[in-house]
Parts: sequence; structure tokens; C-alpha cells
Amino acid sequence: MKHTLLAVVACLLVWSVILDAQRGRGRGAPPQTPRQAAPIDLTGYWVSPIIEDWKYRMVTPNKGVFNGIPLNAEGRKVGMAWDPAADEKAGEQCRAYGAGGIMRLPSRLHITWQDDTTLRVEVDTGTQTRLLSFMRAAPAEPSWQGQASAQWNIPANTLKVVTTNLKPGYVRKNGAPYSDKATVTEYWELHTLPNKDQWLTVTTKVDDPVYFTRPYLTSSDFKKLPSATGWNPTPCSAK
Amino acid sequence: MTRATWTITPLLLGAAFALINVRTSAQDAAARPPDIAGEWRLDQGEDPGQPPLADYSGLAFNEAGRMRADTTPESIWGTPEYQCRPHSAPHQWRGVGGVRILKELDPISRDIVGFRLQFMRSLDRPIFLDNRPHPPAYAPHSWSGFSTAQWEGQTLKVTTTHLKDGYLKRGGPQTSDMLTMTEYITRHDDIMTIVQIVDDPIYLDEPYVLSITYTYDPNGGPPTESCTGSAFAENGGTDRHHVPHFLPGQNTGIGEFLKEENWIPFDAIRGGVKTIYPEYRSVLSGGRAVTTLTVPTSRSANDVAKAIGDQSPRDGQVHVLPVQGNVYMLVADGTNITASIGLDGVAIVNTGPAQMSDKVLTALNDLARTTVYAPSTNKCFGANCPSPFGAPGWSSPFFNAIVASPRPVQGLRYVINTSAAPEHVGGNDKLAAAGSFKRGGTGGSFGTAAPNIGNNATIVAHENVLGVMSNVTPKVPTAALPSETYFDEFHKLSEYVNGEPVILYSAPNANTDGDSIVFFRHSEVISAGDLMSTVSYPVINVDKGGTIQGVIGGLNHVLDLAVAEYRAQGGTWIVPGRGRLSDTADVASYRNMLVMIRDRVRDLKNKGMTFEQVKAARPTLDFDGRYGSTAGAWTTDMFLSAVYRTLPDRK
Repeated sequence: MKHTLLAVVACLLVWSVILDAQRGRGRGAPPQTPRQAAPIDLTGYWVSPIIEDWKYRMVTPNKGVFNGIPLNAEGRKVGMAWDPAADEKAGEQCRAYGAGGIMRLPSRLHITWQDDTTLRVEVDTGTQTRLLSFMRAAPAEPSWQGQASAQWNIPANTLKVVTTNLKPGYVRKNGAPYSDKATVTEYWELHTLPNKDQWLTVTTKVDDPVYFTRPYLTSSDFKKLPSATGWNPTPCSAK
Repeated sequence: MTRATWTITPLLLGAAFALINVRTSAQDAAARPPDIAGEWRLDQGEDPGQPPLADYSGLAFNEAGRMRADTTPESIWGTPEYQCRPHSAPHQWRGVGGVRILKELDPISRDIVGFRLQFMRSLDRPIFLDNRPHPPAYAPHSWSGFSTAQWEGQTLKVTTTHLKDGYLKRGGPQTSDMLTMTEYITRHDDIMTIVQIVDDPIYLDEPYVLSITYTYDPNGGPPTESCTGSAFAENGGTDRHHVPHFLPGQNTGIGEFLKEENWIPFDAIRGGVKTIYPEYRSVLSGGRAVTTLTVPTSRSANDVAKAIGDQSPRDGQVHVLPVQGNVYMLVADGTNITASIGLDGVAIVNTGPAQMSDKVLTALNDLARTTVYAPSTNKCFGANCPSPFGAPGWSSPFFNAIVASPRPVQGLRYVINTSAAPEHVGGNDKLAAAGSFKRGGTGGSFGTAAPNIGNNATIVAHENVLGVMSNVTPKVPTAALPSETYFDEFHKLSEYVNGEPVILYSAPNANTDGDSIVFFRHSEVISAGDLMSTVSYPVINVDKGGTIQGVIGGLNHVLDLAVAEYRAQGGTWIVPGRGRLSDTADVASYRNMLVMIRDRVRDLKNKGMTFEQVKAARPTLDFDGRYGSTAGAWTTDMFLSAVYRTLPDRK
């Protein structure tokens, strides 16, 4: 009896914590999974019209063109050593397709729920997959997409994603580097425009104590598409 | 179960429920909109630095947008009317210097009723959250527009209309005044993201969507940029009316920046909706021609034809817009009337179409009754209060004159015609006859052109207006003819009207050979007649002496008379013949457009082109979406023909 009561109390405490994280649909509602609690629907196909930074995103700028990126001296030095052929040779052609830079590339996204606690973001450019997990992830080897921890901000109708455990990559295709110490923090928001188009905006902050003088802030916009038309997976290219 | 368990369990249960409650409350609190007020820094991680000239990459330009940008140099900033203009609203978030956001609070409820935004090169931009509607389409446009907002969750959605034409970003890309702007402002921790949608179908094939990020920085408020520019030094000419522009195909600066930024292909910097989608990479790689691409374009949410039409509503009604000082603008079935209302009576510039006369008269009387002659509370007590007759005296003998039975409305005293156009003189007969202002005596009066001044309102116009009206069929009633005419460069009414001088300036050979500009010198309002219309190209009646050069000259005269209040905005207001109330920058924009078209047509004509050849060259392409028409009483072809005909032949 004693254990039962204590278990009930413990459950209530846990429940309150879940509510805090996911905010159920009214007091007394059963706990919801992150998928059920989603305040916005990110699933579907999305395309990135390249409106800002066109000359740094749609085409690869010359070596050393790092305008807007807060590289420190070491970052510049590494950036100036960019050698796309060497990257290809070393099997590192996906450096610009890591979580720190991939949202800036011209692409289509396909977002689905892999399970009740994981959003799956496939990117046709570079054929990459990002897994945004609402659960604590098990330790793993560093990777291009790292480990992404997701959390709904229910009142704000936004998604916050923090990605760590990254392999070193580029925030711009011309070799502007971020290190394996980088943390990528993203805020995902949806808006329905006056013309009824739905747009996803991902605000990205890359903190890198190794190569940056301050966080690098960008925001990337994606328009929702009615179908998979135009979905065009292509391999990574270092050039 | 032990006694201790029975004791502790209720406590734990209580604590758990309390925790739930506390957390729910905290969530409710969190549901309140975030505080976006404060100082925000722009780090320029995107589109950094000053854009190079003629870089349209990323812009869904249509043909008109590209032509307008190609022909508009940065030196347009040097024209006197633009020297102090702030950044255009679409560019403001990307301008350097950060932003300061100030909250406006209701002092009683302490609700946020608005925000005020300050950028480095800006006027304060108000954003209203008090549910007020947007102004009517015939109200003025400003650099920052008219913004209202509401919270959508924790995002502030801002809708902005009534923007002036300007630029999408520095370096050439222009916007029309038909753009609307929607912004979604969201705070994420110490980052603020603004998603901005600029919808300008005149120049863009789809809305321009841009997101910008700011960082909260208590020490990062924007500096204030003062304006001390010289009026002449920067515009490349020795004439204050000089309008810098490139003739089509003659902007040699296009592509110049590619010498430095040589990784960018030339075609891409010309913009176009197909260049902004990922599909364009197949063109860049040489695999496809851009013409074969299919991309998922979007449509505009703006109905431009309706938006233009709403500036001059032809709905059989009279709409009243207060302007400044004594002056009001009446829109009578699409035609503007300027009215001075005051203790002396009513003076109007133009009378509108004949069928609107009764409604115009009612509107004028209502205006007078509810403004100058309205009952009011007693505001003065004692022997030195002014009596309704002017002399001091106790207020009490006259309190009914103040609070209950004020002086009757004084009638129409002056009618001024800016031209003989039927929509401007159509109401002369009825309105002038309704004048109840008695000048004294009956019959003729010394120095007048018509004998009815003692009974009717005095009708004033250039003498050529009288000439035209005297020779039309069917015959115009004598009472509708100008009774006071002038032939000189200007003509002052012989007395103040409602406490101010009213001066007519001749605009020779403009729309016709009898146009006038009317200046209310204390109210700082100019009635420009048909020199300006915000809904069409100017109507130039070549057969009655009108010329393109005369229209431009008239507009230059308006600009010489007018003074902007601050940062190229407000100040002297200009009532156009048709369309929305305007200011110096609007007149300059209209004048600039006409100068550009005149010079293009002149250039083509000098090359020996016939009118048909000139028409085929489409010299008005970049303005047709805004001012052109393929049907109706005044088409683009008719305008172009008038320009062509009234420019001198090649020497």
C-alpha cells in the first residue's frame, strides 16, 4: 500500500514534468507524445527559394570570400586552406552539408515523423537526413548531422533544436569552417502568408569557440509544396 | 500502512498537485506575448555590406522591375526631394545600425497599444495594436507606411499598407507604391527573427520573402543619422529639377561588380523568378536552358487594379479627407475637390462632375457645420471673454451661442477652376449658385468678367478656361463661367480666405493651355489639378494646347513651392486632380517618371522612329503596370502619342 501511494505521487510528479514539456490539451488530459503535442505541423515537402545571399548559396564563391561570417584568425586560416579536390579525395565532400550549413543550401526538405519522438528531415541536396529527437540521445560518433535535441515551445508555436556532436564542416561551401566544438541552435517557425502560402523559417545560430569571434546567425526560409515534384536527391559535392 | 506513511502521503500528493498548478500557471504566463521592446543589434550575417550596383540576384523581377532598376541610378538620392528620405520600408530591417523598439502603453490598462520602431536612417515607425482600421486608399502614403499588428501566438504579425515607392534594397531594385508588407516578428530567447514579405506585383513575379535576425543588445541602440545634404551637389546636374536616370540599355554599370565577384554568372544577376529556385542549378551547370525550367512559383495577394481604383473611388459618393489647416480633400465620384472651410465661408478648387453637385454641397455644409460652426462647450468665464460678435463681454449672455445655437454656416464664397475639364467644372453652375455669401449689392461689380458676383460664389480661373467654356456645345450657363480670370504668371485672390492668402499659378501648356496650380499659403496645401493623378498618366489634351513639357514644368513649379516637413515627407500637401493625397516626394516620383518617359521618347524620336516604332519599343513598360491603361478614356497609347506629338522633331 505504501509503495502504491508513493508510486502514485511519483507518477503525478512525472506527469507534471511532461506537462511542462509538452503542455497537454487541458488539465486532466493524458500525457501526450511530442508528435501529439506538436503545436505546428512541419511535415511535408518544402523548397528553399534563394533570395538572400544568393551569390554565396546558389553558387560557390571564391576561396576567402567570407563576408558576413564572424571567423577569427584561425578560422580564416583554415578557410583559406580550403581544397575541394582534397576533400573529395578524403571522402569529406559532405563538409558543407552538415547541420551547421545545410539549411543554407538550395534544396528541398521532406519532413516526416520517424516515430512519436523523432522528426526526420531529409534533404535532397547531398542526400542527407537529420533526425531531430525529443528524447535524450545515446552517445554516438560525431557525424555531419550530429545529435539534434528537439523541444517544442508550445506557447510560441516554435521548435527549438540544439545540435552537437558534429564533425567539422563548412557554413559556406567555399570552406568557411566550423569545428567539432560547434553547437548549432535552431528555432523553427511556421507562417501562413497573405497569399495562403505556408513558409517555414529556420533561424540558425552556430556557436563555435574555435573558429568564430561571435555566434553566426542566419535564417533560412522554405516554402511548402503540395507534392514531391522536384524532389531531386543528389550526392554531396565539394565544389 | 504506517502512521508516517499516512502523514507524508497527503503532503506529497498536495505538493504534486501544487506543482502541476504552478507549472500550468507558469505556462499561462508564458503564453503572454514576449517582450520585444528594447535595443536590438544587426550583425549582418546575411547579405552583408552595401549591395553592389545592379545586383538583382535572388529577386523575382519581372520585365518591368528589371527595366526600372536598370534605369534608376543611385544618384536619384541627389535630387532635392529625395536627399533626406529614409530607407524605404522594405530595406529598413537590412539597413545598418540596429533597431530600437519602444512600447506604447495605455496608461490605465497598461495594455500594449502600439510599438514604435527606430532605425538609423528612419522616421519613427508606429505600429498600432489598438484595432484601428487602415486608412482609405486615397489617404497619403509614407516612407514607413501604415502598420497595424496583432499577436499570433507569440509572434507579432504586422501588416503595412500606404507605402511610398522606393527601393527593395540598395543598388537599384525599386518598388512601386502598390506594395504591401507583412512581417512576422518572433523572439527566440535573445534572438529576434523578422520574416518579411514584400508583395509588389508591379515589379515582382512573386512576393519577396526575407528573414532577418537581430540579437538583443542593451547597448546596441541605433545611432541617429542627420540630414544636411546639399540640394544640388549630388544629382549630377546644374538644374535643381534635373532627374538622373539611364536611358534603357545605356546603364554601363550593369555587371561591373562581376569584375570583383567573378564567380557569379551574368545572367543570374539579372534576376527573375526562375533563378531563385534550386532548379536553377541545372542551368548553372550548363545542363538546361532557363526557359525550359518549371519552378513552383507563388502568386501575389494584391489586386493592383482594385488598389489603384480605390485611390479614386468612382462610386457615386463624396468621401472627405481632412488635410491640413483649413483644407479638406473631397473625392467626388473619383474626382478631387479641394475645400477651404472657415469662418469666412467656403472656397473650393474645382466642382466635380455635374451629377455630384448636390452631394458635394451637402458634404461641404456638413463639414462646415461639424467643424467651424459646431456647438462647443463654454471655455471662457468672465468679463473679458470674446463674444460671438468679437467684443469682450461676459460669456453668460452668449452661452447659447456657444453651446446650443452657433452662427449659421457661411456659404460658398469662391470656386476656383484649375482647368476647363468637365469633371472639374461640371458642378460650377449649381455650386456657385448655392453660394450664400453676400458681397454686398446686386448686379455687376467693378473689374469682374461676369455680372453675378453679388449673388453667386466668385468663379476664378485662367482666362483660357473662360475661353474654352464660352465656346463649347451645349452652351455653358453664364452662371457657371469664370467671373474672375487672370492671364499672368500668377493671380492672388484679392483678399484672405479663411485667414490665408490663396494664389493661383499658371501652368502654361500643361494638360491644356489654361491650367492653374492653387496654393493655400497658410494651410500649406496645393491643389495641383490635372498636373498630377496617382491613378493614371497625366491627361494631355494636345488639341487644347497641352504638352508633356508643360506638365513637367507645372510639377516642377509645385515642387518649388512645396516644402517637406521632415525627411522628405509631409509638410506641404498636394491634392492631385485624381487619386490619393500626396506630398513632395510623391510629386517628385511622378515628375521623375514623366521625365524618364519624355527622355526615352525623345531619344527614340531623335533616332528617327515613327510613333508606331516608338510604341513598339515600349518606353513606358516599367510604369504601365502602375499608371497605364489599355481601355477607358485615357489609355497608355493616347498618353504616349501626346508625349510623342509634343516633343520637338529632330533637328
